[in-house]
Amino acid sequence: MARRLGDYKMPSETKKIAVYGQGRIKVPVKQRYWIKRKDGIKQRYWKKTRKVKWVEVDNVRFEFYGTGKEIYRAVRRALKPEDPRIPKGFVSVSATKFLEDVDKYSFEGEWIEKDVGY
Amino acid sequence: MSDTENSLRCIIGLTDRNTVKLDFDNTPFQTVKYWAMRTMRWFKLKGFIILKSSKNSYHVVFDKKVSWRKNVHIMAWVCLLSKHKKLTGWFIMQCIKEGSTLRVSAKKEKPEPRIVYRYGSQNGQIAEFLAYRSLIKGIIRKLQKEYAKPQIEAKVSA
Repeated sequence: MARRLGDYKMPSETKKIAVYGQGRIKVPVKQRYWIKRKDGIKQRYWKKTRKVKWVEVDNVRFEFYGTGKEIYRAVRRALKPEDPRIPKGFVSVSATKFLEDVDKYSFEGEWIEKDVGY
Repeated sequence: MSDTENSLRCIIGLTDRNTVKLDFDNTPFQTVKYWAMRTMRWFKLKGFIILKSSKNSYHVVFDKKVSWRKNVHIMAWVCLLSKHKKLTGWFIMQCIKEGSTLRVSAKKEKPEPRIVYRYGSQNGQIAEFLAYRSLIKGIIRKLQKEYAKPQIEAKVSA
């Protein structure tokens, strides 16, 4: 008998669905400036500007676990063409938690196709 | 849309700690079969399947459920004896991630891996692996359908 998406369960962290590859994310441009401290030492600081630049990130990965339906929703959210989400490095998270707070686990950006070695 | 085309622009795979998996790149089928058979007999892994991922690239999945510790033991044993550079690289990557992953979706010009050989018991981890593989394939199919619709509509309106 054919099983539906909701029938599958990946409740533990031992079995996960991996969505990985390379992406491009928007990051604020940082500007360097110096401040002369009271003790006479010049100290370097960085501050965020309003400018935004695109940065390519390699080997980013989501690892989702949960029920089939939740995982489907999470993958769909991560790859949504209008607003794709790029993980903040290596993210292993329950699909439900990811859907509750997308910004906590991912950046705004886009997936790009390049060679991944593994 | 052809089978080999990956419109998702990312790779979807299955990560698991309790299933012994191996990834042989640039290896002829007979060599892969030899190592799969030898590993299965030495560690009493009951059975295995070989999936062809692209030309001269194969994945092996074994049937017995093992702990992550035993899994690393088995993968390291194969790497050491086979002296396979790419397999060793893959194995190190899996150790870093603390879970072994095999690709399920298509990747650039490479198609989805397909089963080319079965041996021994298939009811344990292999059955589970194939069930989750079909779940992922279902997700990919749904997403591709969903994303293909607006493109077709845009073409028609143009």
